[in-house]
Amino acid sequence: MATTEVAILPSEAPAHAGDELLVSTFAPRWSYRFWVWGLWLIVLAGLTAYIYQLRRGLAATAMTNYFSWGIYIVNFVFFIGISMAGTLISAMLRLTGATWRHPITRLAEAITLIALLIAAPMIIIDMGRPERLWKVLVYGRLQSPIVWDVLSLATYMAYSALYLYLPMIPDLAALRDSPRSFTPARRRLYRVLAARWTGTPRQRQLLDRAITIMSVAIIPVAISIHTVTAWLFGMTLRPGWHSTIIGPDFVVGALYSGVAAVITAIAVFRWRLGLHQWITLQHLRRLCLLMVIFGIAYAYFLLNEHAGSVYTREGRERRLGELIFTGAYAIQFWTMVLLGLVAPVVVLALTRMRSVGGIVTASLLVNVGMWLKRYIIVVPTLAAPIMPPQWQGKIAYSPTLVEWLITAGGFAAFALMYTFFARLFPVISWWELEEEEREQLHRDPAVRSASLALAGIAAFVMLVGIGVRQAAAADTTRPSTQAAGATPLVALATADEDGKRQVVATVTLGGKPLENAQVAFRLKRAFGFMLLGSDKTLDDGTAAAELPRDLPAEANGEVEVTAEVAAGPNYAAAESTALFPGTPSPANAPLPRALWAPHAPRSLIAAIGITLAVSWGVFAYVLFQLFKLIRSPKGAVV
Amino acid sequence: MIDNPSGPAINADPQLRTPTTGPHEYTGCHRTADGKLVDTATGRLHSMPLTVLDTRVRKGASGKKLVMVIDLARCDGCGACSRACSKMHFIPPDRQYIPVLRMQDSEFTAPYFFPKPCYHCDNPPCTKVCPTDATFKREDGTVLIDTDRCIGCRFCVAACPYGARSFNWDPPKEAPEALAMPYSPETGFPRKVGTVEKCDFCPEMGGEGQLPACASNCPMDAIWYGDQNEDTVTVRSGRTEKLSKLLADNGGYRHLEELGTEPRVYYLPPKNRMYAPPAPEATHGHH
Repeated sequence: MATTEVAILPSEAPAHAGDELLVSTFAPRWSYRFWVWGLWLIVLAGLTAYIYQLRRGLAATAMTNYFSWGIYIVNFVFFIGISMAGTLISAMLRLTGATWRHPITRLAEAITLIALLIAAPMIIIDMGRPERLWKVLVYGRLQSPIVWDVLSLATYMAYSALYLYLPMIPDLAALRDSPRSFTPARRRLYRVLAARWTGTPRQRQLLDRAITIMSVAIIPVAISIHTVTAWLFGMTLRPGWHSTIIGPDFVVGALYSGVAAVITAIAVFRWRLGLHQWITLQHLRRLCLLMVIFGIAYAYFLLNEHAGSVYTREGRERRLGELIFTGAYAIQFWTMVLLGLVAPVVVLALTRMRSVGGIVTASLLVNVGMWLKRYIIVVPTLAAPIMPPQWQGKIAYSPTLVEWLITAGGFAAFALMYTFFARLFPVISWWELEEEEREQLHRDPAVRSASLALAGIAAFVMLVGIGVRQAAAADTTRPSTQAAGATPLVALATADEDGKRQVVATVTLGGKPLENAQVAFRLKRAFGFMLLGSDKTLDDGTAAAELPRDLPAEANGEVEVTAEVAAGPNYAAAESTALFPGTPSPANAPLPRALWAPHAPRSLIAAIGITLAVSWGVFAYVLFQLFKLIRSPKGAVV
Repeated sequence: MIDNPSGPAINADPQLRTPTTGPHEYTGCHRTADGKLVDTATGRLHSMPLTVLDTRVRKGASGKKLVMVIDLARCDGCGACSRACSKMHFIPPDRQYIPVLRMQDSEFTAPYFFPKPCYHCDNPPCTKVCPTDATFKREDGTVLIDTDRCIGCRFCVAACPYGARSFNWDPPKEAPEALAMPYSPETGFPRKVGTVEKCDFCPEMGGEGQLPACASNCPMDAIWYGDQNEDTVTVRSGRTEKLSKLLADNGGYRHLEELGTEPRVYYLPPKNRMYAPPAPEATHGHH
């Protein structure tokens, strides 16, 4: 076994831990330096690629009007997926009282927070106008799933930060009190973060209550973040996205890939920091079992996702199915199935889950497979648009170097932040381990009432405005005349015939009625003139056409009618225009509150408002417990 | 005579359905350098109030409910609508607001040409998902985009099932006439990188009582445009019909009605076609 540095706290460490010291106080070994420098290099490459993209626009990527979303969104969904699992696993294990969880909770919780810190920038990188992000806050529409995602992400980030921090307090206090030499800044950091923890019974009670409440409250928040991310796709009409299974599919997939990520992280730290004594093979096996269970669940979801469309071969889904199973994306799909679902099981079966190497290999395979699954979710649907893709060039998406560099930068930043976290803070929750070994568990019975969490449900209410119509006024005529001579005169009037209104044109030529003149009546409309009727004049020179009373009129309530007399054997063409009463068109009703309108339905506002009020209320309550903890009377002061 | 600057004189017998013969020319309008709207064919000036970004822009033409009908029996796939629209909006060559697709619903049904503008749906999937209210529905039925507000998330592009929207992936090289104009969502000039654009039913033309560029340049009189409140639609030649009668007599329908988006563009089916259909191998297929 190599000499390793371990984060152990002198006063509260289990007796058998010895007196070893925090890793970072030693001069880092070359392998560590190499690791960190390598990661920094990749991160810088990613940053450079992003700066290039900012200048060039999103044309630096391979995205097109068909493939309007690409691997930035894939990365976003992937990291949200990973983030969901860490804290969820920690919370679930805590609530079920699984005592084997203690060495792994902090690493799991840290994965959550750091993954969120990578996911959020990834979505900003995908924006066409990132400098306008503030407009989402100022002009945000509650009806948009993106706004739901922003709210959920912010809530989850706050929750997971607090959930990571609370169990760290006693360990931070031990670091604060440790005789080890730290830089003054670092010592101050520990002192501030330690929240004046001295281990009094009152403080323990407050901390226990806070952590227990958070364990319950964070579960619906964690489920909501990935459900809402799924609804970015589920609320569209595209095949593959518009499916009822997409929310639960994302959640189960996130659990699957998240557990795998936790396993990988734990195994790496166990190896590099020599934590074999505390993170045993049993821990890895138990997590592995959890991963296998989620994997089986996910395979079930995958089957359900596709079974119906394969059986029915329904139109739009059929094209998508062809692309995924046998077409352009078949390689990615079957690789995903192989690497993500089949190979891990094979590896675990072969090694009977007794080999750490096998377990880690399986977890890595799962993560690669699940990234591919996110790719399969996002890209092939865009390759099967509902309208035939005939007008915007080739329909192919092959990510550019910029996209790959930014992706690599994201993963490198994740690993880097995780490494720095492990340098600053103990990766194992020592005080909990110790508490467990002392078998002194305080559970506040009053906290049982802390069960909450509603999923926001949007109900659709449509209001229809009703316009008011006014009755038509009395008829009026305003005949117009033209120059005398070979041009006939046309006079317009209205008349009643069989209860219907008619417009009558009286054509005279030189004072005498003109017979057999072709008269066309036209009604002026918004963009042209509509033919009301065409008639030949009778021997009294009149021609008529129906002019309904309920004709929609201009705003002033009038309709404009023109009578055109076609040129005849001895006379020229003529025309005359008159205004008659019509029924004024009602002004358009103002837009109702609706999902598609600027203003949200009140039921949606209420649903989201209540959900946020509850989750932020619980958060505030937990913060209040922390505040009381900080302010509680001190016990023995160092 | 009837004011119809963009087409021939009214036919004395309005019931005669004669397609316009001759080369498929289009006229359309363009803006001069000082921002005036000018008829390309006649050079006549349209007096056009410069629109200012105000609440009126978000309300639209008062009292109107704009609607379009495309007669697939008349469309011969010439693409004049597309070219006129691209010319009027200074659209770069890599995108179209009203592409003309070649469709064939199934193996033994007839192929046909299919101009596809934005449908300005009454239950628009695009405005639902916009996080900043940058794309918005107006009271006159049109759906416009405010490129000063658009953050470029492309959720609307993903949400539109008809593929009506285009994105400015590159910093656009805007035409000098467009750059000279003050910005308004009713014109969309100048284009901005990282924002979305689409067919807008030419609101500035509508403000002048003019048909949109596509309708006013269709040599086959295939594109009708009008006001649903008035129940009338008009084609390029000036012929104006009752909308309800046109739809009822010709079996008008909306494309992919089952999606529930409630489009404001109706289609008349390609029966008794006046043109040669597209070759079957040129069509991609409806599904």
